[in-house]
Amino acid sequence: MYEPPFTRDRDANERLAARECDACGWVSFPEHREICKRCGSVGEWTDTELEERGTVQSYVVQQRLPDEFETPLPLAIMDVPQTSGGDPARVYGLFTETDPEHIDIGMEAEADFRRIFDVDGLPIHSFKFKRPRGDRL
Amino acid sequence: MRDVAVVGAGMIDFGELFEQSFDDMAERAYLNALDDVDKGIDSEDIDAAWFGTLDIAENASSGLGLSHPTGLFEMPVTRVENACATGSTAFRSAVEAVRAGSADVALVLGAEKMRDSAGGLIEGASLEQVWRGRGVTMPAFFGLRATRHMEEYGTTREQVAEVSVKNHENGSKYPHAHYRFTCSVEDVVDSPQVTYPLNLYDCCPVTDGAAATVIVSEDVVEEYTDDPVWVAGSGLATDTVQRGADESLAGFPATQQAAEQAYEEADITADDIDVAEVHDCFTITELVTYEDLGFCEKGEGGAFVESGKPHLDGEKPVNPSGGLLAKGHPIGATGVAQVNEIYEQLRGEAGAVQVENDPEYGLQHNIGIGRDATGSVSCINVLSKDRP
Repeated sequence: MYEPPFTRDRDANERLAARECDACGWVSFPEHREICKRCGSVGEWTDTELEERGTVQSYVVQQRLPDEFETPLPLAIMDVPQTSGGDPARVYGLFTETDPEHIDIGMEAEADFRRIFDVDGLPIHSFKFKRPRGDRL
Repeated sequence: MRDVAVVGAGMIDFGELFEQSFDDMAERAYLNALDDVDKGIDSEDIDAAWFGTLDIAENASSGLGLSHPTGLFEMPVTRVENACATGSTAFRSAVEAVRAGSADVALVLGAEKMRDSAGGLIEGASLEQVWRGRGVTMPAFFGLRATRHMEEYGTTREQVAEVSVKNHENGSKYPHAHYRFTCSVEDVVDSPQVTYPLNLYDCCPVTDGAAATVIVSEDVVEEYTDDPVWVAGSGLATDTVQRGADESLAGFPATQQAAEQAYEEADITADDIDVAEVHDCFTITELVTYEDLGFCEKGEGGAFVESGKPHLDGEKPVNPSGGLLAKGHPIGATGVAQVNEIYEQLRGEAGAVQVENDPEYGLQHNIGIGRDATGSVSCINVLSKDRP
């Protein structure tokens, strides 16, 4: 019963594909609709792709989750730039391999392509974030 | 448009009510509300009803969830669902109908069974949506605001904890509260970490409960009471963090918009509010709500709670009932119970938690969650002692 959403969102999940509003520059990710959520204009969008990195705008560290999650699980609201420039997309980023002490607002994080979870035995792939290798403490 | 008054308020003690069914809770809250009407009321007087529930325990996916326990059949019953703002939105919807003339006497009933299923809301954390909350729980959505608020405005962890200390102090005096213990700032910051930066005592409990309110039009109010509390204004707004506004990282723009609507309709400003019941699902939620409602400047929420102004004996008491943190948060019932508390405060009948500033205007506020858009819906109702 979960397959259709993953089919719809596959380009966003696996390639960080997004769309930029031609009127105001807002980046729609992962939605693929006609109305711009920022300026309200209808219609003109340019396909774009996000970089495999972002900047932490805020974060938490989750300590108590169902068994299928690794804990402590840092989670951030990230600004993720477009490869072509312009406004970044604002997304929720799950972190991995990151010491909770080493996450902070303003830090850059790298995206890594990972198997996120399984649905009825089918693997769903997408990106998780972590502190860049050169910055590891 | 006609003026609308609250003439009766009833609730049950909130808590772990394993021995009570959804219908038991709803029936008792309804009967308590009828009993509360000064000059009495018959069930036959009720023209229509609004029913607020998220139906988390799957008892009541239609208006029948109100009709069956109350015996109110053969009348319009509208079920309202609006995330954590469900109860206040049900109240607002009923008020609008009575204002418009489609009913003279209306019942608002909110109820929620939060503890009947072991999984409960935590199952929402397992939603298999990659970018929309996979592994993201309620404390995370709100904790993200806390981290940002502390970074941006220098708010301290201790100031955030002060909200819990204040509300538990109030809740210890409030007879219907789920938790009636008091705690210190040290207790809050030393309690187990749930989601950094929020600890256990920063979070509201999981609570069963029900509450009911009777409202009437100006045309019939004298039949029910000589001491009505009037509805002065209301607001309802939506927003989403995905629009990329930095403002939404450390606050809730929907609350600012709903407050603007409610103040304008009541023809007042934030300064006129004498007492408020606001959404404190987490400590940080109440702290930023002071700012969103205009009780203090943006970024000053920490200093505001530290100053004592929102305390029971302060100049602008907030959550005299103990709020969601102490009283509990049975979602559909929450907003209705808040309306009831403001009604009692304005009538001077709030007992041990009665505020001392002879309140003229009281405000009730909820925000609701949408996974990637925390606090993306907000509903506010303003009540007044004098007819608007």
